[in-house]
Amino acid sequence: MRKPERFSLAGGGRALAWAWLGLITALAILAPLLSLPYPPAQPDLAHLAAPPLVAGSAHWLGTDPQGRDVLAELVFGARTAVGLSLAAAILAAALGALLGGAAGFWRNSGLHLPLPAVVGLLGVAWWALALPWADAGLALSTSALAISFLLRERGNLYLPVPLDAAVLGSTALLGAVPRLVLVVALAGTLTLSPAGLLAVLVLTAWPGPARLVRAEMLRVKAQPFVAAARALGLPAGRVWWRQALPHACQPLRTAFPLSLAGLLALESTLSFLGIGLPPEVPSWGRLLGSARLEPTAWWLVAGPGGALLLTIIALQYLARAHR
Amino acid sequence: MRTPLLISLLAALLASCSEHSVAPNQPVRILWAHDPENLDPLVLPNPNASDANNLLHLSLLQVDYSTQRHAPALADSLPRVRLSGDSLTLITYRLRPAATWDDGRPVLARDVDATLKLMQGPGLPNEDARAQFSFIREFRPDPTDPRRFTLVCQGQAPEFAQASGDFFILPEASFDPQGSLRAYRLAALVDRPATAPPDSVLAAVARRYNQADPGQHPERISGCGPYTLARWEKDHRLQFRRKPHWWADALRPAPFVLRAQPRQLDFVVIPNEANATLALRRGTVDVYPQVPVREFRRLQASAAARQQLAFYTSLSYDVVTAGFNTRRPALADRLTRQALSLLFDAHALLRATQQGMGQRTVGLVRPTDARNYADSLPLLSYNTGRAAALLRRAGWHRLGTEPTAGWARPGPGSAPQRLALLVRYRAGETAFETIGLQFRAAAARLGIAVELRPTETGSFTPALHAGDFDLYIRLLKGNPFIFNFAPILHSRAVGEGNLTGFGTPASDRLIEAVAAAASPVLKARLLRKFQVMMREEMPLVPLFFRPNCLVANRRLSHLYPGGLKPGYAAAAITWVTPAVAAAP
Repeated sequence: MRKPERFSLAGGGRALAWAWLGLITALAILAPLLSLPYPPAQPDLAHLAAPPLVAGSAHWLGTDPQGRDVLAELVFGARTAVGLSLAAAILAAALGALLGGAAGFWRNSGLHLPLPAVVGLLGVAWWALALPWADAGLALSTSALAISFLLRERGNLYLPVPLDAAVLGSTALLGAVPRLVLVVALAGTLTLSPAGLLAVLVLTAWPGPARLVRAEMLRVKAQPFVAAARALGLPAGRVWWRQALPHACQPLRTAFPLSLAGLLALESTLSFLGIGLPPEVPSWGRLLGSARLEPTAWWLVAGPGGALLLTIIALQYLARAHR
Repeated sequence: MRTPLLISLLAALLASCSEHSVAPNQPVRILWAHDPENLDPLVLPNPNASDANNLLHLSLLQVDYSTQRHAPALADSLPRVRLSGDSLTLITYRLRPAATWDDGRPVLARDVDATLKLMQGPGLPNEDARAQFSFIREFRPDPTDPRRFTLVCQGQAPEFAQASGDFFILPEASFDPQGSLRAYRLAALVDRPATAPPDSVLAAVARRYNQADPGQHPERISGCGPYTLARWEKDHRLQFRRKPHWWADALRPAPFVLRAQPRQLDFVVIPNEANATLALRRGTVDVYPQVPVREFRRLQASAAARQQLAFYTSLSYDVVTAGFNTRRPALADRLTRQALSLLFDAHALLRATQQGMGQRTVGLVRPTDARNYADSLPLLSYNTGRAAALLRRAGWHRLGTEPTAGWARPGPGSAPQRLALLVRYRAGETAFETIGLQFRAAAARLGIAVELRPTETGSFTPALHAGDFDLYIRLLKGNPFIFNFAPILHSRAVGEGNLTGFGTPASDRLIEAVAAAASPVLKARLLRKFQVMMREEMPLVPLFFRPNCLVANRRLSHLYPGGLKPGYAAAAITWVTPAVAAAP
């Protein structure tokens, strides 16, 4: 006999969380198609800091101190939040998984590269970092490529790549500086476009997933199915990609919503501080920050603050549910 | 035994809980929106740098805020002005006998001579000074009096009497101890072409001055002003301490321009308006100049703030201006600039950002100056349709029919020119951001892409000097005494103070003629002509004159608020003692 289904608080919460995130995502996707009474990033100079729900006003949720429509900023701010934070979280998770997975699988001596390839990579890194005589770095890598081509018949000298030390060192380096401080420093010295901000967010967010995947990879690597795959003579790269990495990425299912929530909060904080996105890009954080210019305008806190709070709570709830 | 001790402790506690009393020697803390960046008296990159240098150095004449006129500072009286022939003005000054440098040496005419030559010498950061003071052609010392001298000025403009004394006098010994500049004629330095072969003596003076780096170490070229810079925490705070024994203390009666009341002046840098208001309400700053009108009105409306603070308003000489980078091919022609200027809704912007205070203008002359203001010109009116028509006349055409289609026109080569603008303004300036957003929205209606780039204070001026902008929004500071537009609009100042890069032979001639006009009537005629020319050429779009709103602690007096920058007299401010404050 089947037991009657009972109302599950956890299930209801999860449904609500998904519903809220679905609403935000739908708003983000459909924002340009919605016929809002007022467009975003356009000041209505006759209505600065106008309160919401004023009869006859086109600004249903009021305006900010620059005259921008709060409703339009909220809707298009969702697009910015989803577009930027979700993209940053996905890219950071992918980069972290690749680097952390490789570091855990090959450690410091498992991966060997031909000497010219190592020299070539160092040369490219030198050029990319624009170190003194950057062109020399490019010349070095070209020379390495040529030498590699010439020596292809004789066989190259192979060097072990200290991948684990490099990844752990990088995560420790990035982890030593608080993320907000690091992003503020980068945003203060560089002029950030949305793509630049995305790159900065990814750069500072990848160490978390990398550490998780590396730790899991150390466990997965010792599993019998990995040993069996190797015993069958499969190439190490294929074993890593097809067998080990999918299992090592399991913790990201829990960590991803948390990472997304963190990035959303970080992007909003930067916009709140006025150092993130350009002023014409709608953002919940900037809308929230504009309340500083008009402390009595509660609608500038309620709208973006509520949206941010609910989104972060929903993401954290889903992360807990996955645990 | 314990009871009296307890009572005295209680009394002390009660006294500390009672209304905060003010010691007359308490520092006066003034709020600045940004750091002065560079304190070199030759450079003066922004008004805060000028205000700071006013505390460290003295000019021959300085503005007396009590009368809003120039008054003798280092000079012992107003200069004697004589016209010579039909093209020269001779202006004779005498320095105050009491004036000394910090080491006790007297301030003499040769210091003035050396300063003038330093302002014209090669290899020095004196571009603005060169443009502003090139009318002084010759320095004639008086052989019988080491403190008396005559400046020979090219032209017969009435304002030479004030302009010739409005620069900081520096000690010759600090940058030219051998007096090697005395051998040079001032006119030779003024006329020295940029391509002239290097001169070892001038190079040595420039090297010595530049090595002192007075921009960051003002103490190395110490002035004869009343204060020394005690501390400078970049982007945070500057502390000026009154010299304990300043030469002007002995003067009786003390002239207003030589009064220095506060023992210490702290300039606190708070870029954010909301934080600045909070600091004022919490009492961590005492004077908040150039308060944004919205904050000013809000504070005025608060009963608690009214008990604590005093409010002052006046119309300033600061005009909010948008400037085009005329070096960009797309903005090199006047029709395009005229078209884009019609995208500013100055009327609505003035109402929105200044809440009706301030005044619209047709040019850089304040509308209250009835004699010189070009009232025949109509105010610019927001008109996107006319802007589009002007763009077409300038050769631009839409790239499609959809609203986002941009504009292009054939360039001189094979590549077409595209109309897309990068707008820079100082980050944190809410009014400028509103102007930028309004302009962007209007441009978007025509399909012109506009990118707003709020820029941090430290990068803003270098970016403008480097020409890394299409349009800037900033404040141009003016005054009622001198109409010399050469530093900002003459082609000689391109790459220096002339950030727009504008300059034609006709405009240069007119600017020179305005600066040298011999009579007020002629000056007014030329100024009106200049405003008409600027309207046609449109290198700048003067939007409106800003009000000067000042809020200060009620217990401060002698602020002398007014329209002249910085809007108050920092050195004259005094704390009202409790007894005076309590008096009816």
